[in-house]
Amino acid sequence: MFNKVEQVKHLPIRFGEVARYVIVPGDPNRIPIISKYLDNVEYQGQVREFNASRGTYKGVEVSVVSTGIGCPSTAIAVEELVYLGAEVFIRIGTSGSVDGSAKKGDIFIATAAVRDDGTSKQYMPIEFPAVADLGVVKNLINASESFSVPSKVGICQSKDSFFGEIDPSRMPISEYLDSKWKAWQGGSVGASEMEAATLFTLSQLFGVAAGAILAIETSDEKTIGKMTNIVLESIYYMEKEKNHV
Amino acid sequence: MSKKDGVEEAIGGLLDAYDDDKEAIQYHVQLKKGDISDFVILPGDPGRVEFIADHFDKAEFVAENREYKTMTGEYKGRPVTVTSTGIGCPSTAIAIEELTNVGARTFVRLGTSGAMQEYTRVGEKVIATGAVRYEGTSVQYMPIEFPAVASHDMTMALKDSAIKNNIAYHLGIVQSKDSFYGQHNPEKMPIAEELRQKWDAWVKGGVLCSEMEAATIFVVGSYRKVRTGAVLLVAGDQARGESLSKEEYKDNMSESVKMILDSSLDIEVEE
Repeated sequence: MFNKVEQVKHLPIRFGEVARYVIVPGDPNRIPIISKYLDNVEYQGQVREFNASRGTYKGVEVSVVSTGIGCPSTAIAVEELVYLGAEVFIRIGTSGSVDGSAKKGDIFIATAAVRDDGTSKQYMPIEFPAVADLGVVKNLINASESFSVPSKVGICQSKDSFFGEIDPSRMPISEYLDSKWKAWQGGSVGASEMEAATLFTLSQLFGVAAGAILAIETSDEKTIGKMTNIVLESIYYMEKEKNHV
Repeated sequence: MSKKDGVEEAIGGLLDAYDDDKEAIQYHVQLKKGDISDFVILPGDPGRVEFIADHFDKAEFVAENREYKTMTGEYKGRPVTVTSTGIGCPSTAIAIEELTNVGARTFVRLGTSGAMQEYTRVGEKVIATGAVRYEGTSVQYMPIEFPAVASHDMTMALKDSAIKNNIAYHLGIVQSKDSFYGQHNPEKMPIAEELRQKWDAWVKGGVLCSEMEAATIFVVGSYRKVRTGAVLLVAGDQARGESLSKEEYKDNMSESVKMILDSSLDIEVEE
């Protein structure tokens, strides 16, 4: 038996300081917004883009840790959180619309992600699918129904270049970006964001569960609050399910 | 008739199959609108079609051409169809396209597979949530970064049905390949190194079993906006040198058919 290192390299938390369920937004400024919905909140500090807090919801312990923008920092957060004992990850994020099935203001629950990122390929060959955990997806859908929030369910795209999506025409590889975008539209991709592919790929690799809920082209506090309610309720369902087994 | 006209006529016949005209008989599966139900079970083997249809309450032979054999009937009042795809993703993609043209809206593959994990044993059923796209067909539809993922509602229905029927199941990712013998005798292949490296990655990534059609069913299904799912019976275990006897195979296949048929009752009939 080797001694586990108590302190991880990046996150501002140590052993015993992370819950089984972790909400992972991208933006460190969303930690206080999301934490408003928790009881017994404790802010655990911030290192770089990794801001952390924990608290409880209906008695269930929940952590909130930001990943920063993009899959590289997300992979670091997921690795270190898994090392510290986290078992269920739910990303709360904002996204763009792709095939038009989900429109501005809609809430989108991801079942899988297009691996248009560089990070997940340094873990698994590209043929491997980035799939969300079915139980997390199911509970997110049930929770959104419990709040009467209509949600779209489907595949999202995870990219590395934000401006490559927003303004592909000015990129040297604009034609490549355009043709890929058309393919995602044809393949019924609903939302475009920047972290899910690595979150899903790594969670499969590490044997933990992950899901993602995304707001389409909206990032106001009210929408973040709506998603937080859904996520916390889904965590409560999962905890109940776990204790029944 | 000039050579050019002849070619055009042949291609014209082919194109009819893609036509929006739903009355047209589809080129390969030899089916037209009304021949099938919205819910289609897809075995690979045409020899397994009748066995599957034996589990329906009533079933009728509809068509057979090449590796595509179709029977349509009813289970507990729900219309169901079974069509074989043949081995591999190329013939499977043709089946999905043509069946969708004539009214299929849900596809559930029922196949056999090889165990990839210590804990996936022969006789067990794997419900696929997604598939590794180690095949050549789906990349002619969608770039490789796109995930081959089953529809969550179909997967949930299969899982619920397994629980209801007391059938032990695994839930997770499967691997779809093109070369059967590349998996069984990788060391004999000129690309042995790549085959072994990738295989190790799939195993470490928790992939449950290996088969040959799911990835294309999921990807083409996303593009055609139809519901997809897959149940794979683990029929062989290379590492342990185990396989199912004929009797065990039949019993386990029967359980898998029952699981899919009961799951169909959770899926609303679509005209």
